[in-house]
Amino acid sequence: MEEKITGKRHPLSILADEAYQTFSEMGFEIALGPEIETEWYNFDVLNVPKDHPARDMQDTFWIKNQKDKVLRKFCTSVSAREIKKAVKENRLPCAFVSIGKVFRNEATDATHEMQFHQIDGVMIGENISATNMKAVLSNFYKKMLGEKTYIEFRPSFFPFTEPSFEVFVKFNNKWLEMGGSGMLHPNVLRSVGIDPEKYQGFAWGHGFDRIAMVKWGIPDVRLFYQGDLRLNQF
Amino acid sequence: MKISYNWLKWYIPDAPSAEKLANIFTYHITEVENVEHRVSNNTEDWIFDIKILPNRAHDLLSHMGVARELASLLNITYVDPTPKYKVPDAKPTKLKIEINTKKDRRHVGRIVRNVKIDPSPEWVVKHLASVGQRSINNIVDATNLVMFNCGQPTHAFDLAKVSGEMLNIRDAQNGEKIVLLTGEDKILDDTMIAICDGAGNILDTGIKGGKHAEITTNTTDLILEADNFDPIFARKTGQKLNIFTDARKRFENNLSPELALYAMQELSALILEMCSEATFEDIIDTYPQKQKERKLQFSSDKISKILGLQVSDKEIEDILKRYIFEYVHKKNFFTITVPFMRLDLETEEDMAEEIGRVIGYDKLEPKMPEIKLMPKTNNTYEKIYNARNKLLNEGYSEVMTYAFCEKGEVEVMQSASDKKFLRNNLSDGLKESIKLNKMNSPLLGMDEIKIFEIGTIFLKDKEEIHVAFNEGNKVIEKNLDEFQR
Repeated sequence: MEEKITGKRHPLSILADEAYQTFSEMGFEIALGPEIETEWYNFDVLNVPKDHPARDMQDTFWIKNQKDKVLRKFCTSVSAREIKKAVKENRLPCAFVSIGKVFRNEATDATHEMQFHQIDGVMIGENISATNMKAVLSNFYKKMLGEKTYIEFRPSFFPFTEPSFEVFVKFNNKWLEMGGSGMLHPNVLRSVGIDPEKYQGFAWGHGFDRIAMVKWGIPDVRLFYQGDLRLNQF
Repeated sequence: MKISYNWLKWYIPDAPSAEKLANIFTYHITEVENVEHRVSNNTEDWIFDIKILPNRAHDLLSHMGVARELASLLNITYVDPTPKYKVPDAKPTKLKIEINTKKDRRHVGRIVRNVKIDPSPEWVVKHLASVGQRSINNIVDATNLVMFNCGQPTHAFDLAKVSGEMLNIRDAQNGEKIVLLTGEDKILDDTMIAICDGAGNILDTGIKGGKHAEITTNTTDLILEADNFDPIFARKTGQKLNIFTDARKRFENNLSPELALYAMQELSALILEMCSEATFEDIIDTYPQKQKERKLQFSSDKISKILGLQVSDKEIEDILKRYIFEYVHKKNFFTITVPFMRLDLETEEDMAEEIGRVIGYDKLEPKMPEIKLMPKTNNTYEKIYNARNKLLNEGYSEVMTYAFCEKGEVEVMQSASDKKFLRNNLSDGLKESIKLNKMNSPLLGMDEIKIFEIGTIFLKDKEEIHVAFNEGNKVIEKNLDEFQR
């Protein structure tokens, strides 16, 4: 009998399949969206004020000759689009997860890359709380990195969440910073057409390449984008 | 921001050990980037480099601010320094202050005569050194010390070079020039301000002083000032003039105008300590835009609902007392008078964070949400998933390449790399990948390189998801929707 030779997935695809599976089991819907975003979805909807330093920060890629267009800095923009749709279709509560390429204009090194992947998500309902987010993210990291993985929240600040947390994961006895999270700011809920008096929700945006690096001991983020098959060993 | 442990101890003598403090910062206030243990001449200190969060930068970019926060958080004594600042009998003054711009919300000024410009005493030099600042002379050091101590930038002019014993703070005009203390020439525009003397000489930009009225070793009389500037003005002027001072950083984070008068008292006391012969004139306080008192109402139910943790009224009251918030408590509702320094507290959600971080986020027990969700399948993801599996089953392996390249239809305005275009096809990247992997094929144990990529490409006014794979050296690229084999 002839053995069937199958190709190998890119490590980020392996991880994305597992992540989507995990979130689907928790009721999340997969969301995908454009990589070039409007300024509104990248900043305004996220409650980043017009005169906020984040907007003129060097690390945003603005598109030439296309007014108000940027390469998205996070996939939260994707969630925002989906929530707006869900509100129109009267589908609350709702939950979305999005894994996608994001862009930052900065010098590259082993831990920084101009393009990388982020896993962003939201859950909105009448009584969705910070403890719910802790359970969801805890479950996610246990599935990704093993049952012994712990997470903790530390104080942080983002314009789009209040309270805001930095999520740390304890893996192999080391605390690792995975990214931001928090309870959606009432202004964000209002700008996607949700009454913050009635609904609450949480959102997070974490480095996805970083999870793969930690999981498989990949030393350099740039290795993901070289088109080098030596990476496809998992 | 660098915070010295010994400096903190002035205000919170019962502070826990530096090691414990680092943990307290991390879990209740903000990230600690570094702690440095410094030992010199039998004295030791710990310097915390803490990353003050943007919503607290208006009250925590200072030793007093951090000490006040810790005293409340840990319920330990805070030693208020104000009674120690004995200001000598002030004499009547002829100092005239005019504010002719909306960008200056408060100006506190005073004339001091008969000072002697000298090197600073050792304790001042040490304190400044602990936060990475170089000592210049006693007067300049005093203004810097006040900023790192209470967070309010202050400035001193040489009175002899200020015409008419007056300051006119006005909007700048396009094309006006100033020579900064550093000797750089700057051209102002009408979005900026100019602090001028009676003869119209421009003395200061607000975020950086000018050369005209600089303190020198011959200076004997001073005008001291503490302003409160509009944060957007401070940021924009800083950007345009390329000025990155500690003063700019504090102004652009929106200081409370209430701080300015305190800072003047502290600065006066410091100068008196270093120049005992100095005589002080009355403070001229010009305060056109008084900070309004704000009330904030929240309920323990809402706080509990946001956090997902039952927080009792008693726990909340305990925290409000420690933080010295005036409040009225009725049933589950609290109405607080927001302390003037806490500009960050505006909504119930802000209070949920305040209460939550004090209690500690470790108290949040993970609890799965109990809601019924009805997720739809995502068609694009299905298509990508199917295309990928199909190619994998045919023996193709997956790669990812860069979205940036040297030519294309869409360009970014600026980039840290020389590749400023976004790819308009996957084929070019895939061809490079084929070359690379062919070279490595003995290493990979592959006779034939079969690879594919699924990704976004950018056309003049739209983006598309493409699938590309190779047949030998030939690359086939298709739109995801048309991908069928």
